[in-house]
Amino acid sequence: MGMDRDRRGLDSQLPLRAVEFHILLSLATGERHGYGIIKDIQERGETAVPDVGTMYRALARMVENRLIEAAARRPASDVSDERRNYYRITDVGLRVARAEARRLEALTRIARIGGLLAKGAK
Amino acid sequence: MSGDRLINVSERWFRILLRLYPADFRDEMGDAVVEAYGDRAREALNRGGGIRLASVWVQVLASSLRNGLGERARPAAAWRRSGNWGRDMELATRRLMRAPALAAAMVGTLTVGLGMFAVVYTVVEKILIEPMPYRNPDDLYFVWRDYGPMVDLKRGWLGGTDVAELQKAGGVIEGAVGLQRELATLSAREGTDPTEIAVMVTSPNLFDLLGVGPARGRGFARSEVGPGRPPVIVLTHELWNRLGADPAIMGTDVRLNGQPYTVIGVMPPGFAFVRNASLGPAQRADVYTTFSVNLAETNPSVGSYGGIIRVRRGTSPKTVTAAVGAVGRAVDVRDFNSRGLKLYQVGLKSDLISGVRPALLVLGFAGVFLLLALMVNLASVLLARATQRAHEFAVSRALGANTVAVVRATVFEGGVLGLIGGVAAALAAIWGTRMLVALAPLDLPRREAIAVDWGIGAVVIGLGVLLSLLAATMPATWVARVSLSSLLAASAVRGGGGHGRMRSSLVVTQVALSLVLLNAAGLVVRSFERLLRADPGFRPEGVLTVRVPMPPQMFPESAKALALQERVQDTLAAIPGVMGVSAATSLPLTGRGGQTTIAIPGAPGNIGDHDRDTPLVDVIGTRPGYVEVMGLRLLAGRAFGLVRQNNVREALIDRHLAKQFFPSGNPLGAKIPFLNHSLTIVGVVEQARLYDVHQDSRPQLFIRVEDWGAETQGLLSLSFVMRAHREPHTLIPEVRMAIRRVDPRLAPADLRTMDEILDDALRQQRISAVLIAGFALGALHLVAVGLFGVVSGSVTRRRHELAVRLALGADHPRVVRLVMGEGARLVGMGVLIGMPGIYMAGGALRGVLVGVSSSDPLTLLAVALGLAGVAVVACYVPARRVLGIEPAQALRLE
Repeated sequence: MGMDRDRRGLDSQLPLRAVEFHILLSLATGERHGYGIIKDIQERGETAVPDVGTMYRALARMVENRLIEAAARRPASDVSDERRNYYRITDVGLRVARAEARRLEALTRIARIGGLLAKGAK
Repeated sequence: MSGDRLINVSERWFRILLRLYPADFRDEMGDAVVEAYGDRAREALNRGGGIRLASVWVQVLASSLRNGLGERARPAAAWRRSGNWGRDMELATRRLMRAPALAAAMVGTLTVGLGMFAVVYTVVEKILIEPMPYRNPDDLYFVWRDYGPMVDLKRGWLGGTDVAELQKAGGVIEGAVGLQRELATLSAREGTDPTEIAVMVTSPNLFDLLGVGPARGRGFARSEVGPGRPPVIVLTHELWNRLGADPAIMGTDVRLNGQPYTVIGVMPPGFAFVRNASLGPAQRADVYTTFSVNLAETNPSVGSYGGIIRVRRGTSPKTVTAAVGAVGRAVDVRDFNSRGLKLYQVGLKSDLISGVRPALLVLGFAGVFLLLALMVNLASVLLARATQRAHEFAVSRALGANTVAVVRATVFEGGVLGLIGGVAAALAAIWGTRMLVALAPLDLPRREAIAVDWGIGAVVIGLGVLLSLLAATMPATWVARVSLSSLLAASAVRGGGGHGRMRSSLVVTQVALSLVLLNAAGLVVRSFERLLRADPGFRPEGVLTVRVPMPPQMFPESAKALALQERVQDTLAAIPGVMGVSAATSLPLTGRGGQTTIAIPGAPGNIGDHDRDTPLVDVIGTRPGYVEVMGLRLLAGRAFGLVRQNNVREALIDRHLAKQFFPSGNPLGAKIPFLNHSLTIVGVVEQARLYDVHQDSRPQLFIRVEDWGAETQGLLSLSFVMRAHREPHTLIPEVRMAIRRVDPRLAPADLRTMDEILDDALRQQRISAVLIAGFALGALHLVAVGLFGVVSGSVTRRRHELAVRLALGADHPRVVRLVMGEGARLVGMGVLIGMPGIYMAGGALRGVLVGVSSSDPLTLLAVALGLAGVAVVACYVPARRVLGIEPAQALRLE
């Protein structure tokens, strides 16, 4: 029964919005605060970098949906950022991120078959 | 150094913007968001200096607006995403059925409030907004004469020559028609009683110009006009119905004023064309016929034609003004020696509704205010309901129930109520509109079009749902954010929760709204009361009037007609109960009558300015006894005597003429040249107002009908007036019979008492006063209900605290005052907030008020006191429940 519920929960979360996927991608590599995630997105070369307000709203929602959770106040290395909220990905979040990645991959595959993308091209 | 300052200022700015987000988001994320923005600001400053930083500021503003408001609207968005409509509907309905009283109260409030709004909306929509039922109605204009410096007449009828000029003008003016309206006696068949009908005499192209053709038969041919034209008429659908709706009537003859006319067509039902009048109400007609004169050969100095032009599709008003103005200048040069006559045009519709526009706008605004008050009321009732179930919500949320589902239920409840209320309101509006039209002035423009249609019904129902949904979002947002911990905390100290503040602010809003409405209503009612008390210059009680037309075609010899008038007067005087009889060409407040310019050569008041020394006056012909029967006030001299003096043509002038021409001297005996003769002034009277109840109009000159036989046929159709001991209505059958007995060809018309005429003149103001007062009382009721709810809720909530106070020795009156103080504070705040609204409403009201300033302090004071009085009662009743608190028991229960 629990499994069933998770499954359903998983499906209802998809597709993710771009900003949510980015957040999960960033947090999959470790704990981050909101602004750090924005930096990550910038580094990924994304043209539409979410703004701070959008980022934190997405974070709040994802906490509510249990995709991520607040981490301990601050990592030991970081002394100055006392007010920052750090987040880490949850198991559910990880699964949702994987599901989303699979979904995107499937889409890309279809695009390739449909001739939209050159086969083998990136 | 200054960089740090800049960063500090930036952070303060970001904190201010944070206010755009809802409180819970602020609490959770605020610091982090500000911190992150701070990072961005620092980066921008390092990389690009002040300009970069400024651009960050702007970006943050834009982002906060978008995200803050978005976050506030999130419950609604979530609801949209994951709804189960059928189930929600079922739940909401079931919950409402469980509280039938509440549901009924809400639906009732919606029905009455929204229904009232719907009636006003219908009237405003049909009169002000809906286009006239003609082809391209925006290209039709009425044209008027402005006599400029010659005579004080800014909206005068056109001369026939003006219409002819407009017809010849060409250019953007595609066509023009002249319009005259006459009353005529119609005999449809032998053996039927003659009746009086209104005839529109016009140019043959009227129907083409309007773009509406006859439903049966044909319209006029272009050649059917001028001297020797065939006598043809087109009937309105209504008259055709009255004559038996016989299709075979086409081609047969009816008699108008004894002359045969051939019926050639019948207009479609709903064709309700009117001729806008130079003064007074627009005139409708029962039949249409064409001019038997050549307009170009009429006397240019006499204005008696209404004129309509159609301009080329899409011509700008400016171009039309130029074209009409050019025609006016040509007329001025040719017929008026360039003394400054002007022609100007007014859009067909705006001309028609100019009289009622201010009143309708005020009513429209009042309707919107009522709607707002209604919405606030709904919100506070739904909030109260949500509050009652707050624990249930909080507990179910703590147990893991979906917030969205709870919110959805609250919103749905509002929606269902709104739907029911909206449908009921639409039905109520159908009925209310019918009643309103029955009460409305007969000359209300577009009266025939005023009814609720499908479109309006849909708007009303939609509004009901929308209002209720909006009203429901307020408690819904509260429900979404209420948490068990805060509720428990609130119940522990028994203080006010967030919902208490929200309810209070709703009441403050209600007070402010209803203050504005009440003040407007107070002003309109006071202005109406002024009108009722205005002295119109005559005594209306106990006077019956009847018009007895004597068309010259039927009574060509004026000597015989005069003798007939005398016999009518004698016969009427013989009816038991009649104290006095007289007659006049135009009755007070009917706006009918002829005007001319007069001069009094040699009078001391002449100043040598020709235009000022020849004022335009209303000429009223009367028979002897008129001053006495009508109750006019005689200021000097005498009225017309019973016996006519030979070789003297008598005249009465009104106070204004006396003041202008004889500022100090005695006017009696002075002579006025008039139609090749000379009038002798025998008396001075106060005006018997012809147009407005509350103010004098242009000066009046009374002449004696019998002095003028052959010269003026206009004096032949008289309205007889009789003052009676009896209730005047009971005279009507006898009057009718008496007149028929004198001559069976006479068609008595318009049997009305002066009281009824006075009443009709005040109908528009009365109906405005009634409606707006109804709105205001409705709003006041809503305030009372709102206050009652807040105070009673507060007593329940503070029961524990109040019990403690009582136990510690506070006496009951003191505690009651404490509770009532809470209500008083809300009322006070509402009044303060409403004040600017009163000021703004004053501007809209100015056009409809008579004799009362739009910022009348007395009304404001009375309204504020009245509101306060109602508020005190609404607070005191629930506050009395404090008296029932037994401290010992209340404390033990906790």
